[in-house]
Amino acid sequence: MLPGIANVGLGPYLTVSAALLVLGVFGIFLNRKNVITIMMSIELILLAGEINLVAFSSALGDLSGQVFTLFVLTVAAAEAAIGLAIVTVYFRNRGSIQVEDVTLMKG
Amino acid sequence: MNWTLALPEIVLSVSGLAILVFGVLQRRDPTQVCSLLTLAAFVLTGVLVLLAPDGIGYNSVFVGDDFARYMKILSLAGAALSLILSMDYNRREGIGRFEFPVLLLFSTVGTMVMASSENLMTLYIGLELQSLAIYILCAFDRDRLGSAEAGLKYFVLGSLASGLLLYGVSLVFGFAGTMEYRGLQAALSASAEIPTGLVIGIVFIIVGLAFKVSAVPFHMWTPDVYQGAPPPVTSFMAGAPKIAAFALLLRVMAGPFGTASHQWQLLIELISMASMLFGALAAIPQTSIKRLMAYSSIGHMGYALMGLAAATPAGMRGTLIYLAVYLFMNAGTFAVIVAMRRRGRPVERIADLAGLGRTDPGLALAMAIFMFSMIGVPPLSGFFGKLLVFSAALQAGLPVLVVVGIVSSVIGAYYYLRVVKVMYFDVATAAFDRPAASVSLVSAGMGLVTGLFILLLGPVSSAAQAAAAVLFR
Amino acid sequence: MITQIVFWFFAVVLIGSAVMVVSARNPVHSVLFLILAFFNAAGLFLIAGAEFLAMILVIAYVGAVAVLFLFVVMMLDVNFSQLREGLQRYFPVGAAVGLVLFVELALSASAWRIAPNVRDLPHARVPGASSNTEALGELIYTHYVFLFQACGLVLLVAMIGAIVLTLRDRPSAKRQDVAVQHARVPADTLQMMTLGLGESTTGNGGFRRPIGKSAEKPVSRPALVIENSPDREG
Repeated sequence: MLPGIANVGLGPYLTVSAALLVLGVFGIFLNRKNVITIMMSIELILLAGEINLVAFSSALGDLSGQVFTLFVLTVAAAEAAIGLAIVTVYFRNRGSIQVEDVTLMKG
Repeated sequence: MNWTLALPEIVLSVSGLAILVFGVLQRRDPTQVCSLLTLAAFVLTGVLVLLAPDGIGYNSVFVGDDFARYMKILSLAGAALSLILSMDYNRREGIGRFEFPVLLLFSTVGTMVMASSENLMTLYIGLELQSLAIYILCAFDRDRLGSAEAGLKYFVLGSLASGLLLYGVSLVFGFAGTMEYRGLQAALSASAEIPTGLVIGIVFIIVGLAFKVSAVPFHMWTPDVYQGAPPPVTSFMAGAPKIAAFALLLRVMAGPFGTASHQWQLLIELISMASMLFGALAAIPQTSIKRLMAYSSIGHMGYALMGLAAATPAGMRGTLIYLAVYLFMNAGTFAVIVAMRRRGRPVERIADLAGLGRTDPGLALAMAIFMFSMIGVPPLSGFFGKLLVFSAALQAGLPVLVVVGIVSSVIGAYYYLRVVKVMYFDVATAAFDRPAASVSLVSAGMGLVTGLFILLLGPVSSAAQAAAAVLFR
Repeated sequence: MITQIVFWFFAVVLIGSAVMVVSARNPVHSVLFLILAFFNAAGLFLIAGAEFLAMILVIAYVGAVAVLFLFVVMMLDVNFSQLREGLQRYFPVGAAVGLVLFVELALSASAWRIAPNVRDLPHARVPGASSNTEALGELIYTHYVFLFQACGLVLLVAMIGAIVLTLRDRPSAKRQDVAVQHARVPADTLQMMTLGLGESTTGNGGFRRPIGKSAEKPVSRPALVIENSPDREG
């Protein structure tokens, strides 16, 4: 265990990341019409996973967690780019970014 | 390091890059040429998959075995069939651009990486590569609101699912300190009880993957996205990615989490039951053939999950055969949907099929074969798929699951038969536009495979047997 | 002790800004709070000894992703007030579910259990590395090169996707064609004519384009020939 995380302990890190995860999921359901805020909430969820990975990686002395975090950062950046491109396309067609959750809930 | 293990993936990716460069440099519209080149790359990769060696490579990140081979061949076949359908459709709709085959190719690379995952990192990155390409493909018809909306919905819910999956992966990593499947297996079998944190992690992984296979209760996106996305993309989405997600589910659940099977078995059972029933009941009021196929797909995923719920080699074999059967039925049905055009415009109501038995007997016969096969009428392919998962579930002591499966099959028969009735007994309206040769070829070929599956049962079954045996080693 | 104070400072600001991200009225504020959240997460990474990732988080996330968000929020002229309908309706249920989920996760986190044989499992370590960055580099370019390349493909797909979805190739747009511009010679575009005293240009065929390479486009031709336009007659 690295000195920094030994002082703090694993528990606080996991609690912080759990709070971020819950806030992210909560944000998606709260702002279900505003796609851009939904995408930011997804970034929070990914951040929660990353914090977990880094904390475990330091606590267990296994660097693969940090390597994975790096890959997740890459993937998240790609995801944000694609998501914003799709939002732009949607906005061009509709003139708003409001998602009809009526059809979403029909199924 | 045995790098030849991933030769099929490498060759496919490199040919994707080459096709991309070719398409960019070409002055005239290179779409058709790029599609044909991509098709050739799929065939070449298929051959390489069959020749690829077995073993674990790239520092325990990648595995080559019978299971991976089976799943890769299926997803390549699904991708190739969708590509053939897309060539004609995209041209007629005026959305033909050479990026389409390239994105389809990279998505297929993602499914192949998923099938060969030996590490949770490979799982995540393969899944993302596959999904990101599909988000784009859904919105490919960018001037149509439905397509853009489908892309947006799939993107939002898909990235939520992969975010939850990532969180689950991080918790599992925190338990074992490694992400390799063999390491996880060793960690799980050494610990006397399964801690809560690990169970939460496993549940999150199941949720993420259940979303990708559109099992209840993570199915909400399916009908809208199926309806909005261009039909060739939908046929791809219903095939290769679901097969790859199943590959992950089977490999992860049977391998590293196999010793904790009592923890997840009940969850999979419930998901399977809910999917079968929901797929059957919610499809009844549908008037759009695309939405009908969406609910039908939810139901079929329930049947396929039944084999996983059994958690035995026989059950896994049943799931594998069911997936192969489903892939071919589904590609054939979507070929018929792509052929549904009147006066140059696509139509999608079930009522539009009226009188197809007289106006185009060949197409109607193929569609009837697919519908009967989806019900599970012998001797069509769907019957064998259902028979194998039902018998495996019975052997594993899950009679409730089998009863639910039979009940929902009977309910499902109603709406599949309704399609047949509309085709043969309703008054004919105008005939469809003449379908392209490629589309007719896919529908006829899949009709033959589905109808004469009994001849293929031997080889497919032995391949699935070998693949399922690998999981329990 | 000081580490703990710093940790809790970062953690509290991180959670606070995450709350603001999901609840701010103005999406521009949401993006700015997202940036603040990333900065604080980078702080947490530093305490955990992941200095390289902390820097990457600031550079790649704050520098690229968050700015991309800001760009899109400002580019799309969205009426955000109507997007907030139904917020109050969902709030109580969402908060209750969220709280239950959080308590469950926090309980499992407070008593985190590690596999008993964790020492015997395969681990990724770089014993001789002098810094975190060097160790990560060793691993990424050797052990995990397959995944590294796969991530490259993910980025390529994102690039193709962003281009294919948003690039509009308008045929009417005026473009530079360097080759054509270089190949232009005066004889193509310029024709010297001698007009006698009192003669009008109209009588000599108006202002014309010479019949050359540049006259290949028939579309632009009538507009330039003045004698054909009716309003110049007489």
